[in-house]
Amino acid sequence: MKVHYKINGEDKEFEIQPGEVLLDVLRRNGYTEIKGNCYLGTCGACAVLIDGVAKTTCTTFAAQVNNAEIITIKGIGTITEPHPLQKAFVEKGAVQCGFCTPGTIISAYALLKNNPDPKEEDIKKAIDGNLCRCTGYVQQINAIKYASKLLKGGKR
Amino acid sequence: MLKLKGVKQCLYPKTIEEAAALLKENGEDTRIVGGGLHLTAFPNPALKALIFLNNLKLNYVKETDNKISIGATTTISELATSDKMKDYLNGNVKKLLQSIASELLRNQITIGGSIAQRESYSDIATLLLVLNAQVVLNDGEKEIAVPISDFYKSDFRAALKKSVIKEVVLEKFDPSYKSDMERFTRNATDIPLLNFAVLLQAKEGIIKNASVIVGARPGPAERFTEAEEFLNGKIFSNGLAEKFNKFVEENVDVAGDIRIGKEYRAHIAGIFAKRILKRFMEE
Repeated sequence: MKVHYKINGEDKEFEIQPGEVLLDVLRRNGYTEIKGNCYLGTCGACAVLIDGVAKTTCTTFAAQVNNAEIITIKGIGTITEPHPLQKAFVEKGAVQCGFCTPGTIISAYALLKNNPDPKEEDIKKAIDGNLCRCTGYVQQINAIKYASKLLKGGKR
Repeated sequence: MLKLKGVKQCLYPKTIEEAAALLKENGEDTRIVGGGLHLTAFPNPALKALIFLNNLKLNYVKETDNKISIGATTTISELATSDKMKDYLNGNVKKLLQSIASELLRNQITIGGSIAQRESYSDIATLLLVLNAQVVLNDGEKEIAVPISDFYKSDFRAALKKSVIKEVVLEKFDPSYKSDMERFTRNATDIPLLNFAVLLQAKEGIIKNASVIVGARPGPAERFTEAEEFLNGKIFSNGLAEKFNKFVEENVDVAGDIRIGKEYRAHIAGIFAKRILKRFMEE
């Protein structure tokens, strides 16, 4: 069967198998910035925004979100023009092995969209489904606080 | 990794009646997808078709004079952030909803899916049981509302082969009612090893209409009628909280499993009972 998505602003059509999860469809079609690991929804590495809401793609059927708007980590900023969150993660040393980074930034992005001035508790809650194998949570929390300041200062 | 290799078709009914008809037509090997979490995490190779409710517009939290109706595909996040939950039972339900699983999973778990699945560790089942919620089912011909306790006592899995959960309806309690729930987990996002919920009415300090539910026992959530009888007619006091602690620890119907032992579960249940009563006294 065919599904249609708008991914990072571009209209896409993919052939899928009815029982496939979104993670596999996206990675097969080149969106390897989405990391797959647990396939149970517990690690958050595969998180993307689906119609503006952060969700794990390993527990979402590709057919379930037919016609959805999907934003991956590459959709929020680029290497030459990074989003303040991406800039903050680099500057605050919140990226170690980097495997959890795309999912964690997606969760943080969803948080800052709804709550531009989050308390530390809010940040912890927002990224509580994103497991960092390097356990660099302190740096991640600092980076999200820093990104919130950058965003308030008008840096996108 | 193709999770459901046997699935050959995805169906998108336009009405709830059509969804019920598709369910009946396609038989045993068909499932309605709520959030999809259970079906993807624990794939059943026998499944041949999936029914998605995307077109049914069942994402809602509506308020009438004395009821709150929650559509079956409403996620926990949507319910928790609904303005209808802000002050519902002193905001305790909202707080509880925001503590279940992780943000990413709360964005996906649906109320209908949680009811249908009735995992033994479900916090949603315990919550809806203590609030005496009504489950509204549509079998394609008629709609019926069933108290969730009766629904779970019946062969609900058989009923869900013919009927679709449309919504769950909560009563709006007057300010004399208090409710709260405690859950014990190994870490913030883990499944609970025990949950304990109380709803009661306190008029001039006297307890009435108590409802006590214990879940993740490790069996599914059940009513704890002896605890309800213990509370009804009593006057709120610190002494009562201590006695309730002891009563619950000695009488709660829990068992041990690979995660924690029976005595430990019972001990925690007692502490939760005391904690909840003390909080009610402070409210």
